[in-house]
Amino acid sequence: MATAEASPSGNMKTLQVKRYKPSENPKKTYLTEEKGLWSWLTTVDHKKIGLMYLGSVTFFFLLGGALALLLRTELLTPAKTFIEADTYNQFFTLHGAIMVFFVLVPSIPAALGNFILPMQLGAKDVAFPKLNLTSFYIYVIGAVFTFIALANNGLDTGWTFYTPYSTDSTSSVIWVTLGVFILGFSSILTGTNFIATIHKMRAPGITWGKLPLNLWALYATSIIQILATPVLAITLLLLTMERVLGMGIFDASMGGDPILFQHFFWFYSHPAVYIMIVPGFGIISEVITTFSKKHIFGYWAIALSSLAIAFIGFLVWGHHMFTSGQSGVATTIFSFLTFLVGIPTGIKILNWVATLYKGSIEMKTPMIYVFIFLFLFSIGGFTGIMLGSLAADIHLHDTYYVVAHFHYVMMGGTLIALLAGIHYWWPKMTGKMYNEFQAKIGAALIFIGFNMTFLPQFIMGSQGMPRRYYNYIDQFTIFHQTSTLGSYILGVGFLLIAWYLFRSLMSGEKAPSNPWGSRGLEWQATSPPDLHNFDHTPVVIHGPYDYHKPMEEFQLGLANSHNGHGHAEDIDVEKVSAH
Amino acid sequence: MANHSTTQTAHVQHHFVDGDQQFDTAKLGMWVFLVNEILFFGGLFMAYIVYRAWYPELFTEAALELNTFWGAVNTIVLIGSSLTVAMAIRSAQKNQTKGLKINLLITIGLAIVFMVIKGFEYSHKFHLGIFPGQFYSYEGLQHAQAPIFFSIYYMMTGIHALHVIIGIGLMMWIYVRARRGEFGSDYYTPVEMTGLYWHLVDLIWIFLFPLLYLIE
Amino acid sequence: MSGQNHEHHVSSAGQLWAVAAGLFILTILTVVMAKFVAIPPPFDVIVALSIALVKAFLVAAFFMNLYWDTKFNAMLLLMAVAFFILMVSITLLDMLYRVDVVPSF
Repeated sequence: MATAEASPSGNMKTLQVKRYKPSENPKKTYLTEEKGLWSWLTTVDHKKIGLMYLGSVTFFFLLGGALALLLRTELLTPAKTFIEADTYNQFFTLHGAIMVFFVLVPSIPAALGNFILPMQLGAKDVAFPKLNLTSFYIYVIGAVFTFIALANNGLDTGWTFYTPYSTDSTSSVIWVTLGVFILGFSSILTGTNFIATIHKMRAPGITWGKLPLNLWALYATSIIQILATPVLAITLLLLTMERVLGMGIFDASMGGDPILFQHFFWFYSHPAVYIMIVPGFGIISEVITTFSKKHIFGYWAIALSSLAIAFIGFLVWGHHMFTSGQSGVATTIFSFLTFLVGIPTGIKILNWVATLYKGSIEMKTPMIYVFIFLFLFSIGGFTGIMLGSLAADIHLHDTYYVVAHFHYVMMGGTLIALLAGIHYWWPKMTGKMYNEFQAKIGAALIFIGFNMTFLPQFIMGSQGMPRRYYNYIDQFTIFHQTSTLGSYILGVGFLLIAWYLFRSLMSGEKAPSNPWGSRGLEWQATSPPDLHNFDHTPVVIHGPYDYHKPMEEFQLGLANSHNGHGHAEDIDVEKVSAH
Repeated sequence: MANHSTTQTAHVQHHFVDGDQQFDTAKLGMWVFLVNEILFFGGLFMAYIVYRAWYPELFTEAALELNTFWGAVNTIVLIGSSLTVAMAIRSAQKNQTKGLKINLLITIGLAIVFMVIKGFEYSHKFHLGIFPGQFYSYEGLQHAQAPIFFSIYYMMTGIHALHVIIGIGLMMWIYVRARRGEFGSDYYTPVEMTGLYWHLVDLIWIFLFPLLYLIE
Repeated sequence: MSGQNHEHHVSSAGQLWAVAAGLFILTILTVVMAKFVAIPPPFDVIVALSIALVKAFLVAAFFMNLYWDTKFNAMLLLMAVAFFILMVSITLLDMLYRVDVVPSF
């Protein structure tokens, strides 16, 4: 029996702890304890809800991805290739709306975050499990509304629903806006849940300074979600009312102002890009330390820069509106503020790179995705700074340069981080190992395909190729064709990933509880975890990145966890209480 | 947190250590939700501020069409209901189920009075032809942007009224549970959460009233 | 462990009534100030909003118990208000400084 100093709420107290070594052959896991479709649909277990989100997000990703491939195929030739211009408008709108609202926003927080967050806290579940399930069904209802729109005329406004076109368009704008409105509540409820969970459900010893960086990132994300999403909700409600009642608030002919809509919209949608990317930063921080076997460089710098990004992200929305006709005063201030976002983001990148220094780097698949992330996201970030400078933006606004920029950030950033996260936590989630060799091939295909798709778009954008155009002049043909070819490689890469992950479920090797030797708390549970994550109350005495401390000191739990049926062993008293 | 609590009362869910943790968590969650509500209404307030800055004389003229007396009465009614909700929470904290039920009923009653007055105000305006947006057909106020003011008016008061209706529903649910004797000094979380929601509805109205009715 | 075993603040009936009385009086005051006292333009709005802010403070602090609650919940409320002010003030940077406010309407 040992004692450990732990301070769950600031005041130090001495807890009796024991070592609980995770079982390598768990008899009962969350996957086996309750079975059948009904148990999934009615579950309040954060792990199953996370997986249901992951499934839905994957479904929408394949849908949005298929649309992207159709768009790229259409752009093979300067004139019509195989679809009509109207269909093309609908396809790019749906590609954008699906990827933003149904994939990127919920992808990391709702899918991976739901699964990992309570485990990293040593909690049994999120604070409000029923609300968690509710938010999943709200997501489903939002999806149903969008499908109703698809069946009725689709949508051709672009994912931004700009007025005045969105008030005049004959496509079913109302169904989609209501769908996204409903989806917003799902996002709000997830954010609310996460904030309450991180504040109130931490295991003994997890102080703010020992909070994994993934949770700092999710915390920052949740703050953005609760502050920005309600404004999107009211915006979409106003847009719906504008269409139904002709409210006039966004209608210049009645004295209203269409640009006000853009202010409303980007007050949400700019912070929303941080809702998408900040959780990705969290995953990168986790993966990079695990595979460098080294303490993260600049823990507080990374933790607080997430909050700084969340805050500054609210001040810069006007850089989407440089050419809209907003006042010169606002434009200049927005341009200046936009540069500020580069600072916390740069702090993160440099700290990650510094973490690698003299680390014992292991090139497993998740780590490869981290390197891909660092490369692609840096390009995305730098081009973003260019777009933030006023004079350059007047030329580059609404060209393929912007398209390439946000794909480098959103896909090269968020999606690559999501892939890193999926590969990193896959053994924990499923209890199975995937084929490492195939995974590396997949990563290579993604990297090559991605750059082939989007690098040419920077070039044509800077030469003036506007985004969302159905036809183009001949000089852009070679760029468009390279881009299309790249997108096919990307598509093959994703199919390969889907295939080997699916195969690992069927016939993958059994995963050990901690295949990467991570010090994170979630890895001290069995793979896959117990229904309540841990069969004891975990006690944390070291930070999650203390790779210089022995593993056994990360496997502590309260000695009097009465239903502990793990392999409790006494550990060296002095070793533990020394800290 | 985890499963080490030895005795648990029926209302503490399995993933909490004790009732305190559950109560504090619920309250924090509720406040986070109220942050949402504030920014949700915030969007409407922003539309109001922008157009008041653009068309100051429109707001002065159009506000004369709103009935200050009934607006003030509604303010008093809503503040009264806030008081009774606070009294309801107090009754629950002190184990007085009867007081809890009575206070909830008075609150529901006041909320309904608010809605009835609101209904009369609306129907009076509809009668005059004061509709939002393009359906505006009132002859008495010929300002070119008059429809915008009333669009904002109807959106703000309409969404507020929707919140009142939701509040009435919530309090009926709390009343039913109070009748079953579910609440007492050791467990009154839902009463307190509904109370917080109801106070926020009151808070919004405290700002709507001077901004819409009291422009001279 | 059972239920809520640490002290939650219980307001006395007198306290609650006093707060409500204050709110009633302020409501009457704001109507009187708007309808029967001629205050020159920018100040009428300032007076009306100041009274509303005092009322809001009373409700938040004493009806919503923020006065006795953890500071974090009060901070959440202030954060919401701060971000609302941020949203409005930055938007006004555009709306008030347009060279041509909604041309020709």
